[in-house]
Amino acid sequence: MNGELQALLDACVDAVIIIDQRGLITTFNATACRMFGYRSDEVSGRNVSMLMPEPDTSQHDAYLRHHLLTGEAHVIGIGREVSARRRDGSVFPASLAVGRIANSEPACFVGFLHDLTPRRREEQQRHSAEQAVREARERLTHVARLSTLGEMTTGLAHELNQPLTAIATYAQAAERMATQPQPQLDEVVSALRQISAQALRAGEIIKRLRALVRNRQTQEDLLELNTVVRELVVLAESDARLNNVQLLIELASDLPRVLGDAVQLQQVMLNLLRNAIDAVSGLSSNARTIVLRTVLIAGQVELSVTDSGPGIDPAIRERLFEAFATTKPEGTGLGLAISRSIVESHGGKLAWRANQPCGSCFYLTLPAVSGVHP
Amino acid sequence: MKATTPIVYIVDDDEAVRGSLRMLMRSVGLQAQALGSAREFLDAYDRRQSGCLVLDVRMPQMSGLELQQQLNQRGATIPVIFISGHGDVPMAVEAMQHGAFDFLQKPFRDQELLDRVQRALALDAQSRATSAAEAQIRERLKSLTPRELQVMRLVTLGKANKVVGAELGVSQRTVEIHRAHVMEKMQARSLAELVRMVLDTGDATQKP
Repeated sequence: MNGELQALLDACVDAVIIIDQRGLITTFNATACRMFGYRSDEVSGRNVSMLMPEPDTSQHDAYLRHHLLTGEAHVIGIGREVSARRRDGSVFPASLAVGRIANSEPACFVGFLHDLTPRRREEQQRHSAEQAVREARERLTHVARLSTLGEMTTGLAHELNQPLTAIATYAQAAERMATQPQPQLDEVVSALRQISAQALRAGEIIKRLRALVRNRQTQEDLLELNTVVRELVVLAESDARLNNVQLLIELASDLPRVLGDAVQLQQVMLNLLRNAIDAVSGLSSNARTIVLRTVLIAGQVELSVTDSGPGIDPAIRERLFEAFATTKPEGTGLGLAISRSIVESHGGKLAWRANQPCGSCFYLTLPAVSGVHP
Repeated sequence: MKATTPIVYIVDDDEAVRGSLRMLMRSVGLQAQALGSAREFLDAYDRRQSGCLVLDVRMPQMSGLELQQQLNQRGATIPVIFISGHGDVPMAVEAMQHGAFDFLQKPFRDQELLDRVQRALALDAQSRATSAAEAQIRERLKSLTPRELQVMRLVTLGKANKVVGAELGVSQRTVEIHRAHVMEKMQARSLAELVRMVLDTGDATQKP
């Protein structure tokens, strides 16, 4: 080989390996030496299969014979991703392009190898960075949910206390009635029915609560938004009652379904409801009203939370959904920001509009899954 | 005032809680009426009806405390037993300051509540009897002539007939006649009883 060609080969950024028709290495450039850890005189004349891991090592000769006999090409002129083996035995990914040297007789083949390890590492890093971001977002979402629920504990305790009070009182009344000289059995039976109904009611509250408290991965389901709302209302009602707020629920019948994560959507609703409760807390209690409504508008399912509060100060309307923008002394300013990111990850929108004659309306729209009715 | 069976009013927005309380009251032979909101109670309540009120603190629209204030403003004296879902001390204090009969935390033992209800009913009956008697005395006072009122005032201050006669410029005999009319109209059997009636009705006789 003349010096010019050798210089050319050695300057090549890819490994260049030439083999003869038996698969024996005739040329091994400087990049190949760096890539595989051999000197060229160590590999010269040896079978190229030494540079491959199993099963290729044992089968390369057969590939070559098959090509020489049939002319069928699996790699030649196509290029593919292969595994290569270094001197120390370590295996690395590489892209391989092979060509037959024109007019060579007997046939000679040249292979160009590009080490894919750095690219793989980058991909992996990017992947794990994305994974980390996703996990962080899920953690943050979860923490926000817990903190919202934390603010609601008084109300939830009250909500559990109601069925417990009813159960205790019905049981005591039933006992009195059963032990009278002429027991009123129908009353006793009715008390027992109430007791079991109230125990189930308490269980339902705990079930809903656990669903929200659990740390879990985002999951996508076909949802009936009204059902998602009703489940949440079990929890939210206590909060409303605690604050002497009248909570009106107006659900459109026959809504198409939406695709999404029920718990995350409930988190958004909970956040909107808590904000609404805060918004009306300054009013006299007969004026504290919140309406939770679902409607179908132009193929989109809309859920809105409207309050009778003083509305949003024009000065902060622009920054309403920005993280850390808060008007509350105890607020983190994350509620609406997280809510909006949840809704957007559902392909929907979360926005605000003024309500007439007073108050605010926060509404989210989600794309309806067409053709699928409950 | 007509004697009626007292009613235990139960106001709680939770249907199960008020249903259970109504059954508890009935299980001990008390008449009970359960209502879902403060507004419903105000509409249904007749202040001539004796009884007591078992009232939930937290309710939408009008809270238990607001209902209590409304009742106070209207001069209704029905004893109020508050029930609350949580140990809300400031709220209990406020309720008691505004004259609540008692404050119970949910859930409670039936006997705890029943004892308080019985005591509240007794208090209500007593204050109704008292105010009925006072009303009767006021009615009787209205039947006195101005002269008889003057005489009554001076006599109940402990002055002798002769002194009263001198102060009013009439004879002792005239004072005696007025005094007899006063005793008869007021249905007082003794001077001591007359004095007590005058004290019970406060200022009524101070401005003859």
